[in-house]
Amino acid sequence: MATFVVLAVVMIAGALGVVLLRQPVHAALSLVGTLLALAVTYVTLEAHFLAAVQVIVYAGAIMVLFLFVLMLLNVQDTGPRRSLPGVRWAAYATAVVTAAAVAAVAFWDGRPAPDPAVASLNLQGGSAGGIGDALFGELLLAFHLVGVLLLTGVVGAVALVQRRAESAHGAPKGSGLPAGRDATDPKAPALGSGGSR
Amino acid sequence: MNVPTEAYVALSGVLFAIGAAGVLVRRSAIMVFLNVELMLNAANLAIVAYARHWAGFDALAGLSGQTVVFIVLAVAAAEVAVGLAILVAIFRDRASSDVDGLAEVRL
Repeated sequence: MATFVVLAVVMIAGALGVVLLRQPVHAALSLVGTLLALAVTYVTLEAHFLAAVQVIVYAGAIMVLFLFVLMLLNVQDTGPRRSLPGVRWAAYATAVVTAAAVAAVAFWDGRPAPDPAVASLNLQGGSAGGIGDALFGELLLAFHLVGVLLLTGVVGAVALVQRRAESAHGAPKGSGLPAGRDATDPKAPALGSGGSR
Repeated sequence: MNVPTEAYVALSGVLFAIGAAGVLVRRSAIMVFLNVELMLNAANLAIVAYARHWAGFDALAGLSGQTVVFIVLAVAAAEVAVGLAILVAIFRDRASSDVDGLAEVRL
């Protein structure tokens, strides 16, 4: 129980940092902390393979992509929205009510808990072998669809950040490009490779 | 010693609510996106907790639940790739990603 409390405190603090920190890079690093604590939580839930994947894919690849784009685009310091002050407090109130409602309903359910020994026997420690059996057996269709989705995502990301071939070739030399376009040129190859991750 | 499933689900609800508040409160589109990732992970935590819960009743339910989380991770990776590409395309035109000013993204 002590482990869970420590992990919960770390994760909630990191999540609050994502919402409240003004610098986008600080907020992203705060989310990395939350995701790493979540990986440890997966270990306590006997999902060891998922914990490893969470560290490698989420805290590694995805958040590095986020930080890469944040630094590349030099996102300005914005902080919480100021244009509609009423919306801000309404959002906080909604979050408090939602969290309280979910927590209350979770503890309300009086059905008997299963035997932990049986659960851990059936989970096989969340090993890669057991997950592979489910992935290539019961969930084979979902596996194939995710493959199609990833390919579509790669093509879509490259197409979105790519510059039009005609405008790159057809621009007259004398007139020159607008100043803004030159400044954005180095982004194109970098984001092409980043988006295909 | 054994933490009940309710505690994990409650933690997941709290994290999801914090992420939802962030989506509503933050101004920059990339920060909204970061909060969406937080909500996605909160949902994943609930699925893993339920997977351990139901593994006590059904031999296959636990590992199926964990495999669903694995698939959600792959979908999230595709979503981040496309979403960040859209943000980069928006930044090229506007040099800002303030969601209050992004009316032209409408269909």
